[in-house]
Amino acid sequence: MERHRITLKINGESHLFEVESRETLLQVLRDRLDLTGAKEGCGRGECGACTVLINGRPINACLVLAVAVQDQDILTIEGLSDGDTLHPLQKSFVERGAIQCGFCTPGMILTAKGFLDKTPGPTEAEVRRNLVGNFCRCTGYTKIVEAILDTSEA
Amino acid sequence: MSKESDDRREVKVLTREKLDLRQLVKAPEVGPSVVGRSIVRTDAMLKVTGRLDFGADYLQDGFLHGKILRSSHPHALIKSINTKKAKELPGVAAVLTAESVPGRNGFGAIIPDQPVICGDKVRFVGDAVALVAAETEKIAHQALELIEVEYDPLPPVFDPREALKEDAPKIHEKGNLLSYNKLRKGDMEKGFAQADVILERTYQVPFLDHAYLEPDICMAIPKADGTMLVEGPMQAPFTVRRNVNAVLGVPINKVRVRQIPMGGGFGGKEDSPIDLGCRAAVLAYHTRRPVRIALEREEITLQTSKRHPMIMQIKIGAKKDGTLVAFEGVIYDEQGAYASMGPVIPPAGGSHIHAMVMMPGPYEIPNVKVDAYLCYTNHPYGGAMRGFGAPQVHVAHEQIMDELAEALNINPIDIRRKNGFREDSATATGQVLEQSVGLHDTLEVCTRAFDWDRRYQETGYVDEGKTKRRGIGIGLGWYRTSIGTNNDACGANVYVHEDGSVLLYTGITEMGQGSFTVLPQICAEELGVRMEDVRLVQPDTDVVPESGPTVGSRSTTLMGNAIILAARQVKESILEMASEMLMVPMDRLESRDRRIYDRDNSGKSLEFREVAARCMAKGKRLIGQGWWAPPPPTLDPETGQGNPYFVYTYSTHMAEVVVDMETGEVEVTDYVAAFDVGKAINPKAVEGQIEGGVAMGLGYALMEEVALEGGYIQNLNLKNYLIPTSLDVPDIEPIIVEVENRFGPYGAKGIGEMPNLPATPAILNAIANACGGRVRTLPADPERVFWAIKEAERAVR
Ligand code: FES
Ligand code: FES
Repeated sequence: MERHRITLKINGESHLFEVESRETLLQVLRDRLDLTGAKEGCGRGECGACTVLINGRPINACLVLAVAVQDQDILTIEGLSDGDTLHPLQKSFVERGAIQCGFCTPGMILTAKGFLDKTPGPTEAEVRRNLVGNFCRCTGYTKIVEAILDTSEA
Repeated sequence: MSKESDDRREVKVLTREKLDLRQLVKAPEVGPSVVGRSIVRTDAMLKVTGRLDFGADYLQDGFLHGKILRSSHPHALIKSINTKKAKELPGVAAVLTAESVPGRNGFGAIIPDQPVICGDKVRFVGDAVALVAAETEKIAHQALELIEVEYDPLPPVFDPREALKEDAPKIHEKGNLLSYNKLRKGDMEKGFAQADVILERTYQVPFLDHAYLEPDICMAIPKADGTMLVEGPMQAPFTVRRNVNAVLGVPINKVRVRQIPMGGGFGGKEDSPIDLGCRAAVLAYHTRRPVRIALEREEITLQTSKRHPMIMQIKIGAKKDGTLVAFEGVIYDEQGAYASMGPVIPPAGGSHIHAMVMMPGPYEIPNVKVDAYLCYTNHPYGGAMRGFGAPQVHVAHEQIMDELAEALNINPIDIRRKNGFREDSATATGQVLEQSVGLHDTLEVCTRAFDWDRRYQETGYVDEGKTKRRGIGIGLGWYRTSIGTNNDACGANVYVHEDGSVLLYTGITEMGQGSFTVLPQICAEELGVRMEDVRLVQPDTDVVPESGPTVGSRSTTLMGNAIILAARQVKESILEMASEMLMVPMDRLESRDRRIYDRDNSGKSLEFREVAARCMAKGKRLIGQGWWAPPPPTLDPETGQGNPYFVYTYSTHMAEVVVDMETGEVEVTDYVAAFDVGKAINPKAVEGQIEGGVAMGLGYALMEEVALEGGYIQNLNLKNYLIPTSLDVPDIEPIIVEVENRFGPYGAKGIGEMPNLPATPAILNAIANACGGRVRTLPADPERVFWAIKEAERAVR
C-alpha cells in the first residue's frame, strides 16, 4: 500500500502524518489524534455522525480520504468551543434539550454551524432541509431544529 | 443479592411485605424544588463537546479484535468446519468453534436457546458458526474468509402460520410453537348477538430494526484474579452477567459487567450485548487477552434482535351508538430463530402476552377473546423494541376503531369518548383501573390543541391541481410501567458523605432517555440537597445493587421509589441528629435545599452538611438501601384474567397528513401528542421522549421494514433501511398531563416506550381520512398507499 506524508490542519493546528492512500479522515482523526468527537455510525456516508467542517463545509469524514484534504481547514467538535466556553450552538443544544444519547450531536452541531455561517436567519424549513443527511434516532428532531433556530436569532 | 447485605451497620432492606406503598405518595409538604423542573441533562456538557467516550472511543492495552463468521443459510445442518488455514494466518490469536465454549453453549435474555457458536445446526443467517480474534480488524476479516464450512441445507420456515403446521420443518427440537396463550372474558356469542355492526379485519406488521446510531460494541477483559470484566453499551448488565457466567461455566461473582455510555438502545441493547458479551468473553477466555467485538452497521442488521412481526386478525362488534360489545382477536407473533425473551415470563411477561393483554386497546369491552401464538421461524429473532408487543397491536386496535367509526358514521373521537377507559373501568383482563387513568384528559386536551373539530370539516384537496389531499387521524394509546414478571424489582444505594455530597448507586442504565438526570433529581429532592450534590455512579454489577433491566418504562417509577426508600433511611439519621442539635422535635424538621430547618420557626436551621459531618463523627448511619417492587402482577394462564401491570400511561395523538393521490407519497404536516405521565419529574426530558417516540412511530407507519427474501435481509444498511429524517418528521407539539399515580415517586409513571405506540395508527388513520384508502399491511410506503387509493376508488365505483 502506498504511503503518503501529509499535513492536516485540524482545529487550527498543523499535524504531520504518514498515511495510507485509503485511510479516511475519520480514521486519522479518531485513531491517530484521539479526536473521537466525530462518531462512526455507518462508515459509508449514510448517517452524518462523522460530520466535520472542511473549509467551513460540512463533510462526512468517513467518506473523505485523508490525502485529499491536505492543508485545508478542518474543524472538529473538539475545536468548536473556546476552552470551557461553549459555542452558541452548543449552548443552545444544551439548553433546549436537543441531546439525548448524544451520538448524533457532534455531527448535528457541525452541520448546523456550516449552514448557519452561510445562511443567517434561516426558516424552519431551511433548517430541516439542511439536516437531512444527519440522522437522529432519539429526539425526533424537534428540539434540534429549535436549538438551531434559537442560535440564529441570538 | 442486596437482600442480604453484608454491611455491618445493619442495612435495613425494605421488601414488599414491609413496605407501605402509600407512604411513597405523600407529596412533599413544601413544593418540590428539584423534581418537576427541566434540569439540564447531567451528561449534556460532555456530549455537546464530543468529550463523552462511547465504547468505540477508547481502547484497552493489547486488545484483540473479535469477529464472527455467520451462517450462509437460514436453516441448515453444519456438516464440517475447517479452521486450519485461518488459524495459521499470522496475527490470528484464536479461531473458535462450538466445542471451544467452556460452559453452556447458549445464551438468551430469558431462554438461553441461541448457541454462542453453532455446532450442528444454524437457524438464521445471523447465527455464528465460528469466532475469530486477531491483532487487527483486517486480519480478523481475512481469517473469516479462510474458514471453510460445509452445510446441508434444510427446508426453511418463514411464516408463523406455516410454522404451526403438522409437517412443518422443526426449527427447534421442542417444535415451532414457542408459546400459546389465551384470554377469555364474558360470552362471545351473546356479545356478538348484541352487535349492530360487526367488522373483521387483518393487520400485518413487519420486522423492524432499532437502528440506534451507535453500533454495538463490547470488550471482554480477563483479569488477573480470574474475573472476567465485560464492558459495553447495554440496557441489562445483570442479564449480561447471568449469561456470561453460565457460558464461561464460572460462578456469577466471577463476572463483572460495566455499562458504558450508550448511543441509543430502544430495547435492542437488551439482547445484543448478551450476544456480544458471551462471544467476546469466550474469545478472551481462550486468548487471555482483552477482546473487543465491534459490529459494523450491516452486521448489526444481520445479527441483532428485531421488533416482532405480527399478523393480527380482529372481529369486533358494536352497537349503533358505537358501544363496543365484543372483540375477538388472533395474534401470530413471529419469534424468529431464537426465544430471547419471547415466551411467557410468569405471570404476564413476554411479547405475545403483552400483545394479547393490550390487543383490545384502552377500551371497555364486556366480551373478549384473544388467542396468541408465538412461533419460531428461520428469520432474525424478535426482541424488545420500544413497547415490546404493544406497538403492533396499537396498529390494529386503533385502525379498527376508525373503521368501525366509519361504518357507524360516527366521529372517530366520539367512538373513543364512548368506550375509552376511565377510573374504575375494567380491562380485557378484568383488571379494574382504580387510579391514575388520564385517558380522557389527554383526549380532550389534544382535541382542543389540535383543533380537531374544525379540521375534521376541512379535509380534502389542498392544491388547485387536485392531486394532494389532506386528512387527519387520531390514535389512542396505553402502556404499562413494568414488565409484568414476578421478579420485577429495583434496588438503590444512597451514600451521604461528611461534606454533604452524595453518591447514588443504581443499575438503571442511560441510553439517552435521561435516567442519569431524572434519578439524581429524585434523590436530591428526597434528601433535601441540590442536584449538583448528587453524583450517580455508572452501573457496574460489582458495585450497584440488582435493578433488573432498563426496559418496560420502569426506571423512573420502580427505581425512583427504591431511591426514595434509600434516601429516607439516611434522612432519618440526618433528622435525628439535627433534632438533637437544634433541640427541635424531629417531626417538625424539614430538609430542603441543603438546609435542615424547623417548619415552625424557619430561622432555626442547620446546613445539611454540618449535620452529615456530625453523623459521620458520631458513627451514625449515612448509607441507605432501598428496594422496591410494584404490587405483584397476576394473570391466570387459562383465562388471561388478572392484574398484569400495576399502572398505565395513557395518551392521545393527532396527526395531519397530506397524501399525493397520484404517487401515494405521504407527508406528515402537523402533530400533537398528549400524555398522562402521572408526574413529569423532568418535563423537558418527557417532551424529548414524546418527540423521539412520535418520530419512531412515524417510521413504523411510513417507511421502516426489514425486507426479507428467502431468509436473507435485503436492506442491511441505513441507505435502504429507511429511518425518519428531519424532513419526514413534522414539528411535534407535546402536551403533558399529570394524573397522579399513587404508586409512583411524586406520582410519576413510565413514558419511555409509550410515545411511539399511538403515533403509527394516528398517521395511518390520517392517511385513510385523506385518501379513502386504508393500508393494513405496513409500512404504508408510496406503493401501498397508491394501491389502497386505487382499491378505494374501485369500491366507490
Ligand atoms: S459514519 Fe460517516 S456518514 Fe455515517
Ligand atoms: S440523540 Fe441519539 S441519535 Fe440523536
